[in-house]
Amino acid sequence: MAAIQATPRLRQRKAPLKMRLVPYLFLLPNMAIFGLFTVWPAINGFNISMYSSSNGRTFRWEGTGNYQRILTDEDFWGIVRNTVVYALAFVLLSVVLGVMLAVLVDQQRRGRTFFRSVFFIPVLISPVVAGLVWNWMLERQNGLINTFLGTLGIPEVPWLVDNTLAMVVVIGVGTWMQVGFYMLILLAGLQSIDPSVYEAAKIDGASRWQQFISLTFPLLQPSILVVVVLATIHGFQAFDFIYTLTGGGPVGATTLIVQYIYENGFVSPIRYGVATAGSVLLFCAIFALTIANWMIGRKREAA
Amino acid sequence: MSHSTVTKDAPAIGPSKTWTSTGRSKVTSTDALRVVILVTSALLALIPIVWLVLGSFKTPTELSKRPPTLLPESWGLSNYTEAMTRFNFPSYLTNSVIVTLAATLLTLAINSMAAYALAKYNFRGKNGLFLLTLATIMIPLQVILLPVYQVVASLGLVNTLWGLIIPAAATPTGVFILRQYMLSIPDELIEAARVDGAGEFRIFFRIVLPMCRPALAVVAILSIMWRWNDFLWPLVVAQSESVYTLPVALARFTAEETVPFNLILAMSVVTVLPVIILFLFFQRQIVTGIANTGIK
Amino acid sequence: MLGACAPGQVDGQGSGASPSAVQSVDPAEFAGKTLNYVYFTDGPDAAATAQLISKFEEKYKVKVNLETLPYKDLVTSVQARLSGGNAPDVVRLTGLTDFRDDLLDLRGYLGEDYAKEFLPGPVVGATGKDGKMLAVPSDLTLNGPFVNVDMFKKAGVSLPDPEKPWTWEEMIDAATKVQKATGSQYAFAMDKSGHRLSTVLNQYGTALVANGKSTLDAEKAKKALKPLIDMMSDNRMPRDFWLGSGSRYSGANEIFLAQDAPVYLFGNWQVGQFAKNAKFEWAAAPNPCADNCGGFPGGKYMAALQQSKNPALAAEFIRFMNTMENQETFIKAGGFLPTRKDLAEKGVAYPDRQADMDVFLKDLARTPDLGYAANSDPAFTGSATELVNAVSDVVGGKKDLSTAVSDLQKKTQSLVEELH
Repeated sequence: MAAIQATPRLRQRKAPLKMRLVPYLFLLPNMAIFGLFTVWPAINGFNISMYSSSNGRTFRWEGTGNYQRILTDEDFWGIVRNTVVYALAFVLLSVVLGVMLAVLVDQQRRGRTFFRSVFFIPVLISPVVAGLVWNWMLERQNGLINTFLGTLGIPEVPWLVDNTLAMVVVIGVGTWMQVGFYMLILLAGLQSIDPSVYEAAKIDGASRWQQFISLTFPLLQPSILVVVVLATIHGFQAFDFIYTLTGGGPVGATTLIVQYIYENGFVSPIRYGVATAGSVLLFCAIFALTIANWMIGRKREAA
Repeated sequence: MSHSTVTKDAPAIGPSKTWTSTGRSKVTSTDALRVVILVTSALLALIPIVWLVLGSFKTPTELSKRPPTLLPESWGLSNYTEAMTRFNFPSYLTNSVIVTLAATLLTLAINSMAAYALAKYNFRGKNGLFLLTLATIMIPLQVILLPVYQVVASLGLVNTLWGLIIPAAATPTGVFILRQYMLSIPDELIEAARVDGAGEFRIFFRIVLPMCRPALAVVAILSIMWRWNDFLWPLVVAQSESVYTLPVALARFTAEETVPFNLILAMSVVTVLPVIILFLFFQRQIVTGIANTGIK
Repeated sequence: MLGACAPGQVDGQGSGASPSAVQSVDPAEFAGKTLNYVYFTDGPDAAATAQLISKFEEKYKVKVNLETLPYKDLVTSVQARLSGGNAPDVVRLTGLTDFRDDLLDLRGYLGEDYAKEFLPGPVVGATGKDGKMLAVPSDLTLNGPFVNVDMFKKAGVSLPDPEKPWTWEEMIDAATKVQKATGSQYAFAMDKSGHRLSTVLNQYGTALVANGKSTLDAEKAKKALKPLIDMMSDNRMPRDFWLGSGSRYSGANEIFLAQDAPVYLFGNWQVGQFAKNAKFEWAAAPNPCADNCGGFPGGKYMAALQQSKNPALAAEFIRFMNTMENQETFIKAGGFLPTRKDLAEKGVAYPDRQADMDVFLKDLARTPDLGYAANSDPAFTGSATELVNAVSDVVGGKKDLSTAVSDLQKKTQSLVEELH
């Protein structure tokens, strides 16, 4: 058999073993740690959700008992409602404020670097510290906010002890902590829009607002989608800062689902199986929503 | 930097020196409104932090004054020194620094390698692995705390700094961000290098990685922020004071029944300031890096 | 099959070791070993503990690692270590509930009669099933009111007599008078805690749980809680404080220290901190009486874990820390009450604030047994949280008192069923 001079294309097709292994080698360190410290424990957690335990070491088989217990607990559904309200508001506010700030910063020339960065600073603060500081500032009698409002003649507002206001505060602080990050993503999306697109609109005499609605906003869809996905995940996982800000109060008005999981898992009486069952439910919810978001986004893009 | 042509003509608002009197364009009310909104928002973003710093210099009596005073009576560091001597502060600080730096370096290394594989190679299981990575962003730590601890314990890493560094290093968000950025690196560059006979790892290290600086900067600052502020995990893994980190110390203050609020404020400032300062130094790279992750 | 897939040990396979004869270990065998002691502190007791530990280290030539944790995170941390197989040897606890199955039966090392050295009330909390001695009560705390003497004097209201305690009505009356006369923000403050609330319940003759049963009497509970709720509705008691921290514990000590309330229901373990931080004259007052007098006990225990690698050393350490001499050193520094019979009889001379500690000691004698049984029941912590939620519901206007109490009874009942 005459040896055929292998063409470069042929050479690529019969990739040597070493080449085929390379991607796996690159992936190995990350995936090893990942598998060991995240995936395996998550699977283990799913297993645990079918048992009950008060110490994480001795277990009693429950089957779907934990799930039944959760789904028939009326407090739980209140918590679900709180979580959905928070997540919806958080995503909405993040997108609206994020877009608004991004547009404003984009148009602002003087001090743009400053404005770009200043909104990101709250993102860097530990959630525990954020909850602590805002709790201090929103104290009804001595807090900075009410003192300031007082100078304007506005009577004391019960920020943290009125059910509705407390939720408003929680949504506000949550957004304050994250919007800088989303703004940067949206800003980048804005700046990648080809300026010539606006030329045509200007010639047609479109006002700035019209340009925004019919050009900018649709062209921002990919970035907005990313923000919606990230914000949804973030919104459903909110806990740390809420716990220091309101402790889930008043009377459970701001208790969200991760707090429910945390209290079942770490506060006496410990119900470890219930906690993991709750997390499984939460994970399924977020997963479903993320897939839904993604598919809606993909459809819009294709359209 | 692309702008809409409308704004190119509007001069920035500033001190009267920059007013152009050659009649190009006047300052529109839109511009004024824009600046007002931006400045108010910036104040909203900064005031809590400023208030925190001011409070950290006040004594307990000053803090309970009604109405609250604005500036502290003295800028003495007594809150800071008292907080630092209560517990073994230098040790906590050193541990926080070591863990943060080491974890960030490890994260950058392994995340970028994994992202490179997911972005630039075709192989079996690529999409599945990527989806798996994405899915795990949704798992909060509280949920898997005890099972993770069991794994760490069986590896003998409990109460060691490595036990704080390794488990959290494979951040899915980091992989996601780097992969997005690497997708935009032209394949031709890599092909050309291969034709030149460069080894795969060399290509990655010498060519691809340097091009990823902005994304690396983003992952770095995120990792620094996460590891620096990490609380629940160090509390559980670290069992002797020699391994504790700063957030654990802060938790100990808040857990004491007579909570010394002025000391809590001082410690909060110490936990918050380093990350902010780091960010301010590298803001340009970080912002550019985030910029390139949203676009598909 | 189930066992194979189970994430851990499945119930029913647990070890049920019966107490063996007392093992006597030659102290010389301890030399060179290390002991891990997980601890939490209220402040001034830490130094005393460290001092006693040095004595122990010297006597037996061992090393003791004192690990101080935030009280709130102690349970999480120890649970994690137990599940990882590297548990500490000795733990300081406020209750046995979370670790009941993991504690060492100390009778095997300290003898059947060791428990008799301690007051019966605290021992109840340390005893497990079948009379196992799962811990040693190391110190006792009692809830009780503190009064701002300066404010009382200014208002011209007389202080209560420790020999003849005031009633609840008298106490509220006095507090309100002082509030009006001095213009202070509130009349009465209390920590947001089911444990403090149980003091009131106790004084009205009822408790959340006891001896494995839900024992809450609805009528008595309503009578007990009504004055508090009334005070919070007209802000004689800080309403914001109660509603503002959700389900987290919150201490009202800052309110008292800022002189915003002349009467504060708290407990003796902060006597040391107050002595340091209060800028006014204050004193402990006797618990107000209703049907009962006396306060509500809380205790700390020292326990050894079964997983300990040196159970004999752990048991000896516990015994050492609770000898009459050493317990006396410890409680003097921390302002705690004694659990040993001999100390309680002899009386303790505290370095500071003897008069205040005497008030507590007198109240200790008046405290009904119901309190001890309640505090040590496994369902107590959970019920206490539900009690706080019930009061919050009423104060927040979500439920009326009757509904809240009957809901509380239902919840307590289900907790009892779950945990027994």
